[in-house]
Amino acid sequence: MSMLISIKPEEYDFFVRINEEKDIVIARQMVKDIAKKLGFSLADITKISTVVSELARNIYRYVGEGFIYIRERKEGKDVYIELVAYDRGPGIEDIDLAITGGFTTTKGSLGLGLSGVRRLMDEFSIKSEVGKGTLVIVAKRRRSF
Amino acid sequence: MQERVVPIIKIYDCLVVPIQIELDDTTVEKIQKQILSEIENNDVKGVIIDVSMVDIIDSYISYTLSETATMARMMGCYTVLCGIQPQVALTLAQMGVNIKGIYYAMNLENALEILAGIEE
Amino acid sequence: MKEQILKNLSNYLELLQERFGHEKIWEELLISVAEYGDSDIYHNSIKESLEKILEVMKIDEVLCALDIITDKIEGFPKEDLLKYIIYIKNEYCLEKENNLREVKEALTELATPIIRIWHDIVLTPLIGTLDSERAQAMAEKLLLFIDANKAKYVILDVTGVPYIDTVVGGFLMEMIKAVRFLGADVVITGIKPDIAHTLVKLGVDFNNIIVKRDLETALKYVINLIEKR
Ligand SMILES: Nc1ncnc2c1ncn2[C@@H]1O[C@H](COP(=O)(O)OP(=O)(O)OP(=O)(O)O)[C@@H](O)[C@H]1O
Ligand SMILES: [Mg+2]
Repeated sequence: MSMLISIKPEEYDFFVRINEEKDIVIARQMVKDIAKKLGFSLADITKISTVVSELARNIYRYVGEGFIYIRERKEGKDVYIELVAYDRGPGIEDIDLAITGGFTTTKGSLGLGLSGVRRLMDEFSIKSEVGKGTLVIVAKRRRSF
Repeated sequence: MQERVVPIIKIYDCLVVPIQIELDDTTVEKIQKQILSEIENNDVKGVIIDVSMVDIIDSYISYTLSETATMARMMGCYTVLCGIQPQVALTLAQMGVNIKGIYYAMNLENALEILAGIEE
Repeated sequence: MKEQILKNLSNYLELLQERFGHEKIWEELLISVAEYGDSDIYHNSIKESLEKILEVMKIDEVLCALDIITDKIEGFPKEDLLKYIIYIKNEYCLEKENNLREVKEALTELATPIIRIWHDIVLTPLIGTLDSERAQAMAEKLLLFIDANKAKYVILDVTGVPYIDTVVGGFLMEMIKAVRFLGADVVITGIKPDIAHTLVKLGVDFNNIIVKRDLETALKYVINLIEKR
């Protein structure tokens, strides 16, 4: 698992454990409150909560258990919200394919989760190892308009 | 009897479905079942799903909505999604979501207008 | 080192003043180095005096001065000072970047007029080059406006846009899609050949978008639709 753990959980302000379907809703409500407190615009709050909904659902669907970590990050005058989705599931074999819009291994899905997440956020990175797990780290900058 | 998770109101020859609860996956699926069984039991031309109180629509919810519209169409019914919040619209558009086979309306009045305008 | 600096302070200052001026600030720096230079703890007073020097002198002059002092004073922590300088410069760059962004964001506001020209009709003339930041700001503003005014038609006039790259074209398409999710219709006017080319390359489906040659035709079209209702 060592390659995947490039985050330190203790450095995050909040986390939600995902292992039931209702945790998806809990996670997105929680991030909504946090983004609101950090002063993100209503449109960006919605984008950020949608991202958490997608990441949490992937954990629930493809792994069964995992975590969402959330923190505020400052860079100079900029404020970012950073989200991490981490699980020790089966991993993703072909990452490039998984982040391509429209690709899915589930019947009854648009396959727009990961590609959507990438488009909604300012920063996106994903690491995955087959048989070991998946780590998605994303961030969005607070804009002032 | 089908489980009822949302109120469904019949207006003229349309069903109006106001969604005012948090949409988790199970709830969306239940709403789909409920809508389809109401269509079966009522002779209606259209279904208006009012999402003005819904503040997150993600890819799974979009998929289920468009699936519902397709199924409704097979049962002879048109679907209008009404009252999408501006920030939700921006999010869906940026994600690249297409909700196929559905009409969009700003409010109930527009939705009824659209359905009335469809000639069969 | 501390004693050496304090004993010969006036000599050093004379030398520095002669070549570089700003005796007072140099005095401050040398004293804070004497006081705190030995500890390896990052110290604010050293950083502050360096900041003052960097404000009034060019960086290569400062480096030259540091070379001279290092030669004179045994154990002078030149490397530490260099680290401070790099740090200060970095902070300064970040600040400059932020200022630029603020100005840009202020301009964004100005350059995105949204006008309600008729009961149900909103006109958005796009002016100047669009970048993705501006396009996003505009999309947000436009959607809130449509929602608040319950507008049914949006005329997007791109006459004033000289050039659209694929990124911005993508944003425009997203915006049009978002408007349609609200239940409003979009009419585009003023598309130049270049822009048409980009949009076609993006695979834009013009079946769902109404395009009119110029603003007048667009207005006539929309008003006609409204009167028919
Ligand atoms: N945490 C994960 N662990 C293992 N596989 C994953 C994980 N997340 C995504 N995947 C794989 O990547 C594919 C693409 O994911 P994505 O979220 O983009 O679409 P989807 O979940 O299939 O559909 P949608 O999110 O639109 O409902 C999935 O079908 C799945 O095979
Ligand atoms: Mg998914």
